[in-house]
Amino acid sequence: MEQLKVDFNKVIESLKLSEKSINSRKENLNQFVENGFPNKRVEDWKFSDLNQIISSNIENLRFHTDFEISEIDETTFIDKFAHNKIIFLNGVISKVDFSSEDDTKVLITRDLNQNENSKEVNSLVSLNNALITSYIRVTVKENYSMNEPLIIYNITTKELKSTAINLKTDIVLEKNSSLKLIDLFDDSSENNFINIVQNFDIAQDAILKNYKIDHKKNSNIKYSYNNINLEKNSISENFIFSTGSKFIKNEINCNLNDEYSSAFINGIINLTNSQHHEIKTNINHLAENTKSYQLIKSVLNENAKGIYQGKIYVDSKAQKTNGYQLSKALLLSENTEFDGKPELEIYADDVKCSHGATSGNLDEDAIFYLMSRGLSNQQSKELLIKGFLLDAVEKITDIEIKDLIKNMIGITE
Amino acid sequence: MLTIKDLKANIDNKEILKGLNLEIKPGEVHAIMGPNGSGKSTLSNVLSGKKGYTVTGEVKYFNENLLDLEIEERAHKGIFLAFQYPLEIPGVNTNIFLKTSLNAIKKAKGEKELDAIEFLKLVKQKAGELKFDEKILSRQLNVGFSGGEKKKNEILQMSILNPKLSILDETDSGLDIDALKIVSEGVNALRSKESSFLIITHYQRLLEYIKPDFVHVLINGQIVKSGGSELALELEKKGYESLS
Ligand SMILES: Nc1ncnc2c1ncn2[C@@H]1O[C@H](COP(=O)(O)OP(=O)(O)OP(=O)(O)O)[C@@H](O)[C@H]1O
Ligand SMILES: [Mg+2]
Repeated sequence: MEQLKVDFNKVIESLKLSEKSINSRKENLNQFVENGFPNKRVEDWKFSDLNQIISSNIENLRFHTDFEISEIDETTFIDKFAHNKIIFLNGVISKVDFSSEDDTKVLITRDLNQNENSKEVNSLVSLNNALITSYIRVTVKENYSMNEPLIIYNITTKELKSTAINLKTDIVLEKNSSLKLIDLFDDSSENNFINIVQNFDIAQDAILKNYKIDHKKNSNIKYSYNNINLEKNSISENFIFSTGSKFIKNEINCNLNDEYSSAFINGIINLTNSQHHEIKTNINHLAENTKSYQLIKSVLNENAKGIYQGKIYVDSKAQKTNGYQLSKALLLSENTEFDGKPELEIYADDVKCSHGATSGNLDEDAIFYLMSRGLSNQQSKELLIKGFLLDAVEKITDIEIKDLIKNMIGITE
Repeated sequence: MLTIKDLKANIDNKEILKGLNLEIKPGEVHAIMGPNGSGKSTLSNVLSGKKGYTVTGEVKYFNENLLDLEIEERAHKGIFLAFQYPLEIPGVNTNIFLKTSLNAIKKAKGEKELDAIEFLKLVKQKAGELKFDEKILSRQLNVGFSGGEKKKNEILQMSILNPKLSILDETDSGLDIDALKIVSEGVNALRSKESSFLIITHYQRLLEYIKPDFVHVLINGQIVKSGGSELALELEKKGYESLS
């Protein structure tokens, strides 16, 4: 923690901040210092003891970087379709490119003094408030649909080691606007802690599609906290492709604040070795006629651990809520662990809510069927695993991005 | 091509095949009939290499010990089982499965694999011959297929893979009269001096379309009687009662 205080002062010195903002950062720092990294005694973290995970994977964690890298490896860019770009390079924004959009319709702010602290829902969000050095807010104006998707590249290079980096983006969608956003991780670094906060304000009739892709194998530890506010008749679609990092916890808190708003969260956890990934969702139905749908498919090999904690909360005002959640896990070795914790908390009486969960191994009879047609055992299993994952991928409504993810999984059609 | 000697198969300490003998020569069609639970599907599973059975006895396939071969090796060497209950495989596209299967076998035989276009041409032709709606092949393997469509899909696979020994486990059950005729034509089209068939059925009618060289009666894990095609007619009249 001594290192943290020293690094905190370095961060403050490196930024031009108002007195007020410095004070609020100090408060947030103190909150983090008091609580530390969440451990398994914290209910939300009982399946993922982050404190333990960080201490056993990262030696001498630092909270400040002073080197600069300007070269970006262009091969990491997606070349299948044109897109807008925001590039975080080792936690620092190194490029912002919205050249194919109308610049009166898409507003970008990078002024740290305009950043408002995120609500301190846990010590990691406090840490993020205290330490962010780069900030970006994207506002899509009323009635504007972005011409191209936006890809936020989170790139880390091998120079980055044993460091905590804190990123934050705010996305504001005004009435009847729309945005497709891909958060794409590309890590060549090892043993860092990457702490991301994203806020989404989605106004009436607006549509957000957000795809989170953690695809490239790496030894980093990540936490991604997403807070989504949905107004009347708006839609949020999330897809989480969770397969690259040593550890990642994707947490989504989603407030359905007004009538006819809906939230879709689908995802895939596909792990080997001793990877450990968690998806945690909180869907708060706070108004009538709101809808939520979640489908999470997990494939665990070797010693991997997967967790899905999904909570659906229905307020007493939220009559005619429709909430659905399903988790299916394939456990391909005896040493894997899958923990599912579905939770329904319902205070309205006229609602349709359900949840389900299955877990098991591949069907031996299905393997026999495929092998009897000449496929090897390995080929048969791969085909069945891809088949198992397919229906989650099919939930992606954007064709280009669906194809991109299918490609990454190796599903060809 | 296939010689079975004193074949026994146990599962969960239960003896199901109890010393079965059978010889199939190239080009022959053998039919097996027998009451429910007598071991017909078990025989087809054991011949295709399904795991879970304790098997003793000898099965020679050409000059190899069939029982030593892996499931997929048997497929590569020309053994094909049309399943009594074809499995539904969610998320696996039927066409992709067919192509993977055909190319796996071609590769094992050292033949040139088919590219997408050659494959589609072949499938189109075979599906056409079987009056099998091609659109079905872009769907997930057997998922939501009607009973008859699943059976036709088995025969389609058989005609694409062109096996040496085809085992048809009650392929006729669940087929309508027209489909039965089409499927039989499919089988007859594959009949040749080199390819043999083992046809499991409960109904004499199939054997009117596919005339067998031999009919065997399997009761309680053993072949208790063998004869020509007239035996099927006799069984239809008298039932199995008189034989057991
Ligand atoms: N896994 C198993 N465990 C225990 N008994 C089994 C198992 N599989 C099959 N059997 C039994 O073996 C016997 C033979 O089954 P099999 O499926 O071979 O019969 P069949 O001749 O194909 O019957 P049908 O005409 O109804 O298809 C049956 O009594 C069946 O219950
Ligand atoms: Mg049977």
